[in-house]
Amino acid sequence: MRSMTGFITLVRREIVRFTCVFTQTIFPPVVSSCLYIFIFGFSLGGRIETVQGVPYLVFLVPGLIMMHVIESAYANTSSSLFISRWANNIEELLVTPLSYLEMVAAILIGGLARSLVVVSGVYAASLCFVRFMPAHPAVMFYFVVIVSLIFSAAGMITALFAEEFEHLSLITTFVITPLIFLGGVFHSITMVPAPLRWVTNFNPIFYMINGMRYGMIGQSDVPVTACAAVVLVLFTGFLALTVYLFRIGFKLRK
Amino acid sequence: MPPAISIKNLTKFYRNRFKALDNLQLSVEPGQFFGFLGPNGAGKTTTIGVMTGLANYQQGEALIFGKDVRRDYRQTRAMIGLVPQEFNFDPFLSAEQILTYEAGYFGVDRQEAKKRAEHWLKFFDLWEKRKHDYKRLSGGMKRRLLIARALMHDPRILILDEPTAGVDLELRYHLWSFLKELNSKGKTIFLTTHYIEEAEKLCTHVGVVHQGRVVAQEAMGTLIHRLHRDFVELTLKTPVFEFPGRVREGAVTILDGGKRLSFEEKPGMVNQVLQLLHGKGIEIEKVDVRRPKLEDAFLTLTAKTGSTACDQ
Repeated sequence: MRSMTGFITLVRREIVRFTCVFTQTIFPPVVSSCLYIFIFGFSLGGRIETVQGVPYLVFLVPGLIMMHVIESAYANTSSSLFISRWANNIEELLVTPLSYLEMVAAILIGGLARSLVVVSGVYAASLCFVRFMPAHPAVMFYFVVIVSLIFSAAGMITALFAEEFEHLSLITTFVITPLIFLGGVFHSITMVPAPLRWVTNFNPIFYMINGMRYGMIGQSDVPVTACAAVVLVLFTGFLALTVYLFRIGFKLRK
Repeated sequence: MPPAISIKNLTKFYRNRFKALDNLQLSVEPGQFFGFLGPNGAGKTTTIGVMTGLANYQQGEALIFGKDVRRDYRQTRAMIGLVPQEFNFDPFLSAEQILTYEAGYFGVDRQEAKKRAEHWLKFFDLWEKRKHDYKRLSGGMKRRLLIARALMHDPRILILDEPTAGVDLELRYHLWSFLKELNSKGKTIFLTTHYIEEAEKLCTHVGVVHQGRVVAQEAMGTLIHRLHRDFVELTLKTPVFEFPGRVREGAVTILDGGKRLSFEEKPGMVNQVLQLLHGKGIEIEKVDVRRPKLEDAFLTLTAKTGSTACDQ
């Protein structure tokens, strides 16, 4: 059997990269979650008694966690790969005997690791405001892992296409953030007008948030199996595209 | 044993349709210290890119010890240590981490990687700076760190792309003796350099690339003497501003404002030049014979173009 040392080394390097700047990578999502819970949960939540049969604060936490899973995974891989391209140290990696699948997998695991650390931090912070145990921990874990990997892959794809740092944030600002907010972080689909409800069905993040909500509080606007299927299909597609781009050396090789 | 490097009919276009490599042929035997020379933009770095996986190509074949750089890329890359022209270190890592991670990517376990990193850091006089990130190192230190990094997995071929560019003389001499020693222990070395003197001092074999094609490839001495005979240099008592007459066998170059004349030693040439000078009453103070240098061969080869050059 081939040694996994190269792969493990790259995973380690990806983890070192975000932990050595933890004030930029770990703390901000935890702090912002506290602010969201405090402001939305207490001010807005005071006017809404329950959503899907649970207190608004409890309803809010899974959405917030999913939001930070998405943002952390995307930010980790997009910045890691783009900086490597920009500083040219991607060449250091490309001349190694690592397979393209190993390279992609290691970078994705870096994104997943950051998401898991952030999820733990956000969940721990949320316990200061509201106490509840996940209803279906395995389902919760499934969505955290698969969604992290989807957005890690999306971050890598963006980093390959991007020519400037700005391009990374453009995707965050104009694609990811609107889809997160419209995907039901703060509301249930039953609370929006019918036309918007119909449009929401085409928003993939809606399924991610609802899958997570089912895992944490046992409630969801759509069947959890549909959510699980949507994220699995997305994961397969994004992974295949990322490996393909690495294999052909898209913007990596001259 | 198959050649260390075997490249056949390699053609590469860039996206702007610039033909960087044009049916390039190259063969380097194991244990050679091979100098790959050519003017700027001739295709040296692109050829290295193809061998190491940093450049795609459209046609041809590149083999490293008989393994294809595309099909068997994991095996070929494991056999190569690359010292690139530009510094391309990971900005998040210290000098020591750069080395240990590099070894790790090549499958060297952590304990062994640490040992090797210590060895090379001490060898290249970087031990005191091991905790520094590379931006805090001087140009010479960065250059040494690049070489140390390429050696961490003990590659069979060491490829150096302009390794002494911007390096002071003392360090250059150190690197030269180090590379010679490595080669004497059997490591195949593939070197590109702008310093012809460097190639002449170090290399056993040389290839000259021009406009994406290899226009000459042979043992150093053979190449020089195939293209040039010895040069005769005459120091005159009184300067001449124009050579007094025509010599059928070749050109006479006027040097040092007319104080010296230089020409290649071809049959009958010395006789004719001396007769012409004597006829005009020009006296000679000194006669020197200069051995041809690699630089002379390089200039001859790269002055020619494309297919008219001596393709091998």
